[in-house]
Amino acid sequence: MPMHTQSWESVGPSLDECIKCNICTSYCPVAEVTDKFHGPKYSGPQAQRFRENGQPQSPDHSVDYCSGCRVCNEVCPTGVRIAEINARARAQAAAEHGIPLRNRLLGRSDMLGKLGMIAPGLANWGMRQGFARSIAEGVLGISKHAQMPTWSREGTFASWLKRSAPNRLRSERKVVYYHGCSTMYYEPYVGKAAMAVFEHNGFEVVVPEQGCCGLPLLNNAEFPAAEKYHHHNLEWLTPYARQGYQIVGTSTSCTLTLKEEAPDMLDIHTPEARDLALAVWDIFEWLRELHAQGQMKTDFQPIDMVLPYHPPCQYRAHHIGSPVMDILPLIPGLDVRESHARCCGGAGTYVYKKEKYQIAMDVGQELFTWVDEQRPVTMTACTSETCRWHIESATKLPCRHPIEVLAAAYGLYDLEKRKLTKE
Amino acid sequence: MSDLFVIGAGLSGLMAAYTAARAGLRVQVVTKGLGSMHWAAGTVDVMGYTPEELSRPVQRPLEAIQALAHSHPEHPYVLLGSHQVQVALEEFTALMAELGLPYGGAGGFGALAHSTSGDNLLLPSAVGALRPAFLAPSAQLAGDMARPEPLLIVGFTGLRDFYPELIAENLAKQGFQARAAFLPLSLLTEQADRNNVHLAQALDLQARRLKLGGELKRLARAGERIGLPALLGLDDHAAALADLSAAAGAPIFEIPTLPPSVPGMRLYKALRARLWRMGVRIDVGLEGIGANVIAANGTAGRVQWVETATTTSRPLKHRAKAYLLATGGILGGGFDSDHTGRIWETVFDLPLTIPQARHQWFRPAFMDPAGHPVFNGGVAVNAAMQPVGADGQVLYANLWAAGGALAGADPIQQHSLEGLAIATGWAAGQAIVRALAQ
Repeated sequence: MPMHTQSWESVGPSLDECIKCNICTSYCPVAEVTDKFHGPKYSGPQAQRFRENGQPQSPDHSVDYCSGCRVCNEVCPTGVRIAEINARARAQAAAEHGIPLRNRLLGRSDMLGKLGMIAPGLANWGMRQGFARSIAEGVLGISKHAQMPTWSREGTFASWLKRSAPNRLRSERKVVYYHGCSTMYYEPYVGKAAMAVFEHNGFEVVVPEQGCCGLPLLNNAEFPAAEKYHHHNLEWLTPYARQGYQIVGTSTSCTLTLKEEAPDMLDIHTPEARDLALAVWDIFEWLRELHAQGQMKTDFQPIDMVLPYHPPCQYRAHHIGSPVMDILPLIPGLDVRESHARCCGGAGTYVYKKEKYQIAMDVGQELFTWVDEQRPVTMTACTSETCRWHIESATKLPCRHPIEVLAAAYGLYDLEKRKLTKE
Repeated sequence: MSDLFVIGAGLSGLMAAYTAARAGLRVQVVTKGLGSMHWAAGTVDVMGYTPEELSRPVQRPLEAIQALAHSHPEHPYVLLGSHQVQVALEEFTALMAELGLPYGGAGGFGALAHSTSGDNLLLPSAVGALRPAFLAPSAQLAGDMARPEPLLIVGFTGLRDFYPELIAENLAKQGFQARAAFLPLSLLTEQADRNNVHLAQALDLQARRLKLGGELKRLARAGERIGLPALLGLDDHAAALADLSAAAGAPIFEIPTLPPSVPGMRLYKALRARLWRMGVRIDVGLEGIGANVIAANGTAGRVQWVETATTTSRPLKHRAKAYLLATGGILGGGFDSDHTGRIWETVFDLPLTIPQARHQWFRPAFMDPAGHPVFNGGVAVNAAMQPVGADGQVLYANLWAAGGALAGADPIQQHSLEGLAIATGWAAGQAIVRALAQ
């Protein structure tokens, strides 16, 4: 058994803070819609008592149904890190029972990204074919109903960066951009919008070599592989952190992983990991700071529309408040409405799993109903890529990253066509 | 930047936020997690017992508050005066009526002055003891033991922590006519392992509660009132209660359960929804860990910003014109301590009236009528709810405090948690509105 699945260093002390009040179970969106998951208290702090001290078997297999949304952590009055306990329990169960091929595949978003980009048209076509999806469901257990992300038809983000290199802004003020796998292979336009916003505010953008943050692997209980990924990122990115660069990301789950998830789950508490975590910013967290210093440009063009915005559960786990709601309402004409839904249900790769697809849809109902009540609307916004894909498929409305909205307000980006105005 | 930054989303924090937002202030609320209301019975306990008389519940709490003036001049109720407490309670009942979760007293509903007789209700607890409460949600009012009807206590087989036989037996021992009955849990749910909140959500569906109402009609004898665990609907509670009473053909009341408390959760959700509608932002998961202040130097100091913890060691700074500390005491996490007996307030490190030596926290007798210093102490404030030092001087010109953190009261012993929260939260909100208007 790998060492780290037996170490409960980062969650152990918080376990003793549990007062068994059940607030977590009362707000858990998964336990509310299914009894396959017994709820955070039972799977977390309660079952945990039987997982320690070399107990031979993980006592509670229902923990596999925890979606990892962290609503339990958020509402816990005493600060128990329930979601982390559950994630480690999943890893322990995986170490005992093995990891299905499907989960190994879903955990490797970078590999899937690269594979699909060999022939993105063909890959996207294949994903739309009923027979292919039925086979995938039968053989792998990947739900045939779940909407798969579409591989970029305009090349990767890296290829665009290379093409557009001569047009990049040079400046004394520099920032490092962490784009993550989804921007790289599926949504390069999110990265383009972010680059446009950085440069419009006078920052030269450095995009160093970087790898997957490892979150899909952590979620699919492959801790050793995630560890490898995190060490690569430490090697590539920590030098920038130590030179004083701020490392800014557009994917809330990637930045959360670099800040907290990877070091905590994998017990990587080295000076390198700490320095990197301290340098990582969510892009709206970073913009809010820029704005607080009076340095963010506000030369906005009006955008006259209602925009329902869902702050993903991963975003709330940063504990940075709601920076998108501090920035987007500055845009004239824009009526941004923040969702109070607990979770969209998608929860990363959760919705792709055959046995969990319906749960994901049921969990998301709270959000989908709310979006419906805001109509007429032409699009929604969300800060996390997998949530965007899930919300799009459920509401049939386009879902944008808020940075695309901001780039559009600067007049740099076409929100509908998802391309830069000068492209 | 907001006008008012509230730390804590318990009853005192939300009451202050409401008072300030209604007056047009921009308000932000942060909280480490959800607590207090989810742990309590959903009633408004104003004064259930006085330190002088712990063996018998207080009959007329507003009068008992007046009597405190001589014996406990440092009590927050005394600082406010009983009239202010009454005005705050009236504001609360008006608000709850507007939100569709009406609260009443021994005399019924409506404006407080006309509605209650001034008497405490005596409501059965989940072990059949009697709890004094001044106001209760409508669903609990028929449980008042001043009423004459005999009681039928109904539980569900397989429901944890609610034992109708225990309740009925204890009530009978106290001279009341009470009996117990069980219904199958499958009336509420087909799913295994549901907690009270999930069961309450099941009764948000009309078909289920009509079915349950029919079963209750079958069980009840003429003239009986029916006590049920407090899970009669969550979001559609008012309709659930009306449907059940009609279908059962008998008065129905809820008995609060062990946490999570559905009546408390209804109260929290109703207040939260009202605040959202007023544009108040409530950030759950933000824990106040410190503040930057200009220290008092002869005159009052100023709070410059409050810091909350993030996932990195970069704390988040919050700037506002006014700050309200509503983090509660030891239970709420407003105070922390170490093994040496040092005890401190966690955000502003305000001086506490609690002894800083562990052996002085408690008196030798567990049930000592004088209470324990560790529970009676806290943040000392003036009549405007501003924290003061030992010399009585205001510490920070833009800081107020309310609720369980305040010194001079032992709300657990006195059964006054919600009354204190509502009165001091409302008073702090009013004081802040006045201060910012200047």
